Amino acid sequence: MIEVRFRQGPPGEGLPCILPVAPAASPRAVVREIAAARFNGRPGEVLDLVGPPRRILVGLGAARTPLGFERAGAAAVLAAGEATGLALDAGELAPEEAAAMAAGVALACWRFDALKTRPVPKTPRRLVVHVRDAAAAEAAFAPRAAGVAGCLLARDLVAEPANRLTTRRFAERLAALEEDGLDVTIHGRAWLKRHGFGALLAVGGASAQPPRLAVLRWRGVLPIPPVAFVGKGIVFDTGGVSIKPAHGMEAMRADMAGAAACAGAMLALARRRSPAPAVAVLAIAENATGAAAYRPGDVIRTASRRTVEVVDTDAEGRLVLADALHHAIAAFRPAAVIDLATLTGAIVTALGHHRAGLFGTDAALLGAVAAAGEEVGEPVWHMPIGARHREDLRSDIADIRQCAPAGSGASGGRLVPDACHAAAFLREFAGTTPWAHLDIAGLEAMEAAHALGPAGPSGFGARLLDRLVATRFEAEP
Amino acid sequence: MPDIAFVKPALPRAGALVLPLTEDAALAGLGKQADEATGGAIARGLDAAKFKGRKGQTTTLWAPGAGLTKVVAVGLGKKAGDLAASGAEAAGGALAAAIAQEREATIAAEGLAPGLAASLALGLALRAWRFDRYRTTEKEEDKPKLERVAVAASDATRAKAAFAPMQAVADGVFLARELVSEPPNVLTPAACAERCKALAKLGIDVEILGPKEMRKLGFGALLGVAQGSANEPRMVVMKWSGAPKGKKAGKPLAFIGKGVTFDTGGISIKPAAGMEDMKWDMAGAGTVIGLMAALAGRKAKADVVGIVGLVENMPSGTAQRPGDVVTSASGQTIEVINTDAEGRLVLADVIHYCIEKHDPRFMVDLATLTGAIIIALGHEHAGLFSNDDTLAQRIEAAGKAVGEAAWRMPLGEAYDKQIKSDIADMKNVGGRPGGSITAAQFIQRFVQGRPWAHLDIAGTAWATKDQPTVPKGATAYGVRMLDRLVSDHYEG
Repeated sequence: MIEVRFRQGPPGEGLPCILPVAPAASPRAVVREIAAARFNGRPGEVLDLVGPPRRILVGLGAARTPLGFERAGAAAVLAAGEATGLALDAGELAPEEAAAMAAGVALACWRFDALKTRPVPKTPRRLVVHVRDAAAAEAAFAPRAAGVAGCLLARDLVAEPANRLTTRRFAERLAALEEDGLDVTIHGRAWLKRHGFGALLAVGGASAQPPRLAVLRWRGVLPIPPVAFVGKGIVFDTGGVSIKPAHGMEAMRADMAGAAACAGAMLALARRRSPAPAVAVLAIAENATGAAAYRPGDVIRTASRRTVEVVDTDAEGRLVLADALHHAIAAFRPAAVIDLATLTGAIVTALGHHRAGLFGTDAALLGAVAAAGEEVGEPVWHMPIGARHREDLRSDIADIRQCAPAGSGASGGRLVPDACHAAAFLREFAGTTPWAHLDIAGLEAMEAAHALGPAGPSGFGARLLDRLVATRFEAEP
Repeated sequence: MPDIAFVKPALPRAGALVLPLTEDAALAGLGKQADEATGGAIARGLDAAKFKGRKGQTTTLWAPGAGLTKVVAVGLGKKAGDLAASGAEAAGGALAAAIAQEREATIAAEGLAPGLAASLALGLALRAWRFDRYRTTEKEEDKPKLERVAVAASDATRAKAAFAPMQAVADGVFLARELVSEPPNVLTPAACAERCKALAKLGIDVEILGPKEMRKLGFGALLGVAQGSANEPRMVVMKWSGAPKGKKAGKPLAFIGKGVTFDTGGISIKPAAGMEDMKWDMAGAGTVIGLMAALAGRKAKADVVGIVGLVENMPSGTAQRPGDVVTSASGQTIEVINTDAEGRLVLADVIHYCIEKHDPRFMVDLATLTGAIIIALGHEHAGLFSNDDTLAQRIEAAGKAVGEAAWRMPLGEAYDKQIKSDIADMKNVGGRPGGSITAAQFIQRFVQGRPWAHLDIAGTAWATKDQPTVPKGATAYGVRMLDRLVSDHYEG
């Protein structure tokens, strides 16, 4: 993450300086330029004045929300282009607002250049924020920085291609989070076999890399049951025997974005020393083809003892989540469990690349998740689990079918509400624990630069979960 | 439809006797009388069959005695006091199959409140409907025979009065189902418009516009869809003026329906598999026509205008091409990227016409619009899009009350951007992601900010399995929901 310093007093002449501008409130020094460029201070509006000194004006718009300030900071970075460092003139902003802008800058400055061997365009390595009260701004920034760190960790993990972020390496990266104060336990094949995690073992059985169940715990201080996050961590998804078409398959290195978001959230909680206890259970595997691959038609015994009839080996996410959900609930008795997964193509057809799908059983929890998402710029939309969705999963030979058979949908078989089916499937494993499911397929990576970051992995979900904990799970009992 | 009469309770001497019973209830009224007349055979039979009165449970006792062909017990679920209209309807639907082969049946509904007795009868009527116009070789034993149903009620007069408006709504439902069930070689746009003329009998003002009038009005979008077909397009405008006179004339409520009598996809042709389903691509129009019949039939105290745009989407030498740019009646230009996204083109012109000509209070459009909504929600919920939260909530609630579920879906600028065109005001598709949302965004560009709701009924217009009050086939989704919307909030 970019290095952020808070300094009292106005900016010097050294670094390109970001200047936030509210509508109809032109700073005296640049009044003429603003008039000539017809700059209105609208959200997302940017005016790059080369100077010298270089000043990058960003519009704040009328509503001054934290998310608005984050977006303004990010917009400035996009316009700044190559630079070694940036300054932010936050003299007219409250400490919270300055902190939010700085967070936006940090989110937008993220790059994944680790695999480039030739020189790359410079992105800013430091940000100097000029404020009236440095201590107050720093205090406001600390929790935000934690959320940003979580988001950037998620992006780093998602960006890693599958030959580097193998199941073992993923587990190692998670184990390294003990440095931040998390307790990490990694369960391997022997443990999974002993405890009957048939779904995770089946999905991960064909790969040269073994499946893993990673458990991250943040103890917190409150004497309350933890909140649990469950993440799909498929480091690469070929589809298995029900192999995917070649076109676009490279994107499947991001099929562990749900687990990455959960890991990012846990890091955020640890960094800001959240009082709330939390646990993340991440199902990590590679869905590969091979002689030992699991087959359509197989019946698997899940960790919950329920049997599942496999129809499509490319619907593997819900299988590994079933085992992870069971473990999260049985081992930790959480107050609530939220799972995240790049789960279905259907949710992308339903909601596109602008909102994640939210399913669940507890209205208050769902409302809190949706509100948290709005606040951090990770919007979701509540979707239904209907009676018919569950009926469609009735199996002739097992307790439940994993999905509806191909060709069983309307219009010649093509139209199947698979996101709703997946949610109905997962609900079976949530029991009576308040449960929310986020289908983040389509949100895990952006094709173009977006409001809070460059093109590429977005880290979607990490800050949402962090915010959810802050708003809902940190109350004294 | 069988003849339904509400009568004083009297034990029939022939035919079938139906006993609606709550859970673990003892036989009473006609049931008790029949049991006594048969020497206790009915009570014994129900006991042997382990009939518990659970919801949807039915048990048939053949020739129990006393001249009856059979006794059918149908479960209502828990105590009668907690029974809602929907439960009574479902029970009525559940018993329809059991008495279909009888000429006459008596339903012992005297234990139910008169309103619920009427609901039970409604459920039976809705479920018993059948589209058999094209059967010529059906065997006698397969044909339904039910001609007369006598519903014994504690207050027959009140039950009959309660049933009268329900009958009108049922007739609207049947009309919609019939139109949707008709094959496309029969129900062309012109033929459908012709059938709408019959609504004049109910007091509806019916106006039919053809291609010439539509050209004059500048319907470039609708006519573009229609131009490839040998079957000419039609627009039918139906007006019901039921609001009390003397009050200041308010704005009418408007319901608009997509009426693509057959959708091949046009030049962007659909795959062959399942294409026969596309005869129901006019279900939105069917619902609006049925709704008008329902409202007029029960003399709803509201001013309502229903407008349907009827076209056939065919590939041919004269069909519109992907890449064509058309000018809609509103003046906005549309780049037609995919000729299979034609429903929104039809709606664009009809909605604009509705605003200009009728200045409606709100507009609700219905359309079997996108496959994407089926992928999103399945077949239990229609997709609901709206720029007005109050209207949307009212629609959702009205639907819930009558068993026609809708689920609110999002709109937003990010989705609207997806239909940006490089050369025209908009494209008619926005890519696969969020396909039903971008379709709604497209339509929204024509509503001029008026209160508006859009129901994407692609998943709910046709049932592949029998449901309690909807037999397999055309569901007429929306007729009951929107009738309920009007009666709950807009009559005075």
